[in-house]
Amino acid sequence: MTAAVALTSIAAHAADLDTDALLARLARPAPDTTTFVEVRYSALLAQPLVASGALEHRQDGSLVRQVTDPYRETTTLRGENVRVEREGSSPRSFSLERAPELRGMLASFGALLKGDREMLERHFDVAARGTDSRWQIELSPRDAKLKRRLAAIRVDGSRDRARCFTMTEPDGDASVMALGVQGREGLPGSLERESLQAWCAEGTER
Amino acid sequence: MSPAGKGLLLAAWIAAVAALGWFVERNLVVGTDLRLFMPSPRTAQERLVLEEIGEGPASRMLLLAISGADPQAAAETSSALVAALRGSGEFRWVANGAGDLDAIPDRLLVYRYLLSPTLDEARFDASFLEAQLGERLRDLASPAAGFLEPWLPRDPTLELLKLAESWQPAAQPQLLFDVWFDTAGRQALLVAETRAAGFDPQGQGAAARTLQRAFEEVRTDPGLRLEASGPGAFSVLMKERTQGEARQLGTVATVGMVVLLLVAYRSVPVLVLGLLPLASAGLAGLAAVSMVFGTVHGITLAFGFTLIGVAQDYPMHLFSHQHRGLDPRDNARALWPTLATGVASTCVAYLAFLFSGVRGLAQLSVFTVVGLAVAGLTTRYLLPPLVPARGRDAAASALLGRCWDRIAGLPRPPWLGLVVALLCAGVLWLSPRPLWQDELGGLTPVPRALIERDSALRHELGAPDVRYLLVIQGSDAQSVLASEAALGPQLDALVADGSLAGFDHAARYLPTKEQQARRQARLPEPQALQESLAAAVRATPFRPGVFAPFLDEVEQARHLPPLAPEDLVGTPLEARVGGLLLQRDGHWTGLVTLTGLKDPAALERLAASTSGATLLDLKQASEDLVAHQRERILWCLAGSAVLLVLVVFVALRDFARVRRVLAPMALTTLVVLGMLHAAGVSLNLFHLIALVLAAGLGLDYALFFERAADDPAEQRRTLHAVLVCSLSTLMVFALLALSSLPVLRSIGVTVAAGVVSNFVLALLLTRPPGAARHGD
Repeated sequence: MTAAVALTSIAAHAADLDTDALLARLARPAPDTTTFVEVRYSALLAQPLVASGALEHRQDGSLVRQVTDPYRETTTLRGENVRVEREGSSPRSFSLERAPELRGMLASFGALLKGDREMLERHFDVAARGTDSRWQIELSPRDAKLKRRLAAIRVDGSRDRARCFTMTEPDGDASVMALGVQGREGLPGSLERESLQAWCAEGTER
Repeated sequence: MSPAGKGLLLAAWIAAVAALGWFVERNLVVGTDLRLFMPSPRTAQERLVLEEIGEGPASRMLLLAISGADPQAAAETSSALVAALRGSGEFRWVANGAGDLDAIPDRLLVYRYLLSPTLDEARFDASFLEAQLGERLRDLASPAAGFLEPWLPRDPTLELLKLAESWQPAAQPQLLFDVWFDTAGRQALLVAETRAAGFDPQGQGAAARTLQRAFEEVRTDPGLRLEASGPGAFSVLMKERTQGEARQLGTVATVGMVVLLLVAYRSVPVLVLGLLPLASAGLAGLAAVSMVFGTVHGITLAFGFTLIGVAQDYPMHLFSHQHRGLDPRDNARALWPTLATGVASTCVAYLAFLFSGVRGLAQLSVFTVVGLAVAGLTTRYLLPPLVPARGRDAAASALLGRCWDRIAGLPRPPWLGLVVALLCAGVLWLSPRPLWQDELGGLTPVPRALIERDSALRHELGAPDVRYLLVIQGSDAQSVLASEAALGPQLDALVADGSLAGFDHAARYLPTKEQQARRQARLPEPQALQESLAAAVRATPFRPGVFAPFLDEVEQARHLPPLAPEDLVGTPLEARVGGLLLQRDGHWTGLVTLTGLKDPAALERLAASTSGATLLDLKQASEDLVAHQRERILWCLAGSAVLLVLVVFVALRDFARVRRVLAPMALTTLVVLGMLHAAGVSLNLFHLIALVLAAGLGLDYALFFERAADDPAEQRRTLHAVLVCSLSTLMVFALLALSSLPVLRSIGVTVAAGVVSNFVLALLLTRPPGAARHGD
């Protein structure tokens, strides 16, 4: 409920947010590295899963997701291929074709890093609200195939930094990726979905 | 004969030819399986080779590449093409790398614990399950979560994914947009296995058309192109090229022939009459073949018409000897002993092919023997009453007279033949190069650029080697599967040390019943599994109860009857296993296809130490087969040469005459052999056929020259006849010699050279020594 309250309060004074200017501020030229903590909610799980590490956006356009805690795992997303290498098990490769939600996430991520509104709007309906110091971009997939696997992506942030990427799946499962956070300690004590969402929307300066 | 009688005879003859044509049209089935022209197998090993050459998975495999637009369009088209071809019926299976977990029917899904090797070492106890669930948690936290999550409740050990991965080719091309692509990422790659055998150009042609149609329907970008490579695609291409070129050359030859006959006889009726014996011969030959064999091979047809082309000469002898005051019937009667000797001896020579052990050649033999006999008999009995009694007398030609005198004046040293014979024999004997070409592919070679393209695609796709194949034989499917399973670790070792890039066999997809039962026995009882699973789940954040479908399916799997080859019908595995595990007349054959084989000797050793296993070297084995076949044909030919000499001896009854008649063709055979060899040509079956044809022509020339020995007028008429015959034959075969296709070229060169040599030698060698002085 906290999240809903936060949302309405943001929406109340949303009129003055300039989306183009916001996207321009968010752009980060490659190479760029940022730490993250990802929290995954699934109907199969009683408690959410937490993994933290670093996200690296390389010059060649590939994205490397390096998990360092609680285990070590490297995912390389290059072109159409995804390769997951985990300590102690054989690497697994698959194509974005099998994971449309990942393709959507990558497209939004790539567009934001480039500040490319056109690319963003090719894949999503874009709705931005809030103020420069506390904003929220809501991305709804346009493509039917993508819609089946991805309900929405929400990006919360303040000023020129994206703070959280929240992907919601049609079945209610979701994952929240908090950026610029060092390990589990950077997140609030409760990882209940509502509390985390509220924390993302808070927009307190860090 | 009265004009009315003539008209009636002509009408009756044409009606008979038309009736034969109708019969042939109704009954003739033209086959295109090239193996009809391959030797009949004598041993089990040879039979295996022939089966694999035409029917093995490698020969049916088409490598496909889609390119020409952006990769995503190529990938979408690739997937759509797979779906379209799977429904077409022309293809046993099609693959483009897309992991189609969803395509596996539920019936097969529950077998996953019996098919996967996991249970050979592991047990579904609490510690194993806990470790597996730990991995699944990490999977859920990874980017792969989206597509793995739906499977987890029923398959927490991801057995199905392991199976699907193990079914992929060992050396898989890279995946882009979830389908195979080449290293450069520009061409989407696919593999398709046709139902038609590789060397069945008709079946392959149908498959190629289906493929092209499907591609044009599903392609998402008009810029996309489809390329197909492989033995089947090549046989279609070569068939089209051969037919196209033969048709072109045939048209030119027909026009040339008509012009030549008009110049020689200056009469349209003669031209038309000259075609009747040949038409009768061709149709009678076809009718005989279709009655004896049921089907006639396309090649028999093509060669048959080439070979009975000699029948075109028969009416020409009649026309050239025709002159005012001579009743054509008397003319025919006078020529008959000579003509009949020629026909009979040529027929005897072609009879040799009846015993060659090659079905296609036996057909050829029936076709030519019947055809030539009909041509000879119609020329003798039906044609003379129709020939105009007037006509120009060739003997009146001053030009021909001068020609004859000039020729008669040439020095004819008796040692000439001997020297030529020794020279040619010397070339053949002393040359270090092999005389014969044993490569089967040499008969229909594929352009170099296509071969290179094929091997590039083969390399990219990791497609199996077309030369080597490991074959496992057994009395039943289970014993073959057991041998393959036992070979697995040794093959893996060869892959590890680099002798081999990969392999494929039926046991990779379908373990033996015994092994399935062993795995089944290791599946825990429901109570035990439930307890272990509950303990494992407690140690993880998974909700209790989410794995209920897993418990159900394990319980189902505990009571399944083991999967046998026949249970795979209707599943994606049917085609894979069906192509690699075959039942043939009471025994089972398992094929182990090899990819990137670098060390055949290592596999040879492996095969030698495994009972029931053989490493087939299709290239070597087919070359051996061709060599055996040739040996047999040569013996047949030797036999027919003896018969031919006997026929000529019976006809001429004079040793000196027989020697003079046979010398030109015998010498010509040597001369042509020596010439071809000196020019660097390796001989194949088609050269042999052409040599027999040339010998038949030479015998006719010699018989007629020898007959005309004394009479100057008859000499000129004979010269006219033989000139027309040899010029027309030379023209047709010189055209074939210009062909870009080796089969047509080898026949053309051989016969053209044979005609020239036969003509010259017949002129020089057939007249008795005294005749030269007489002519001066």
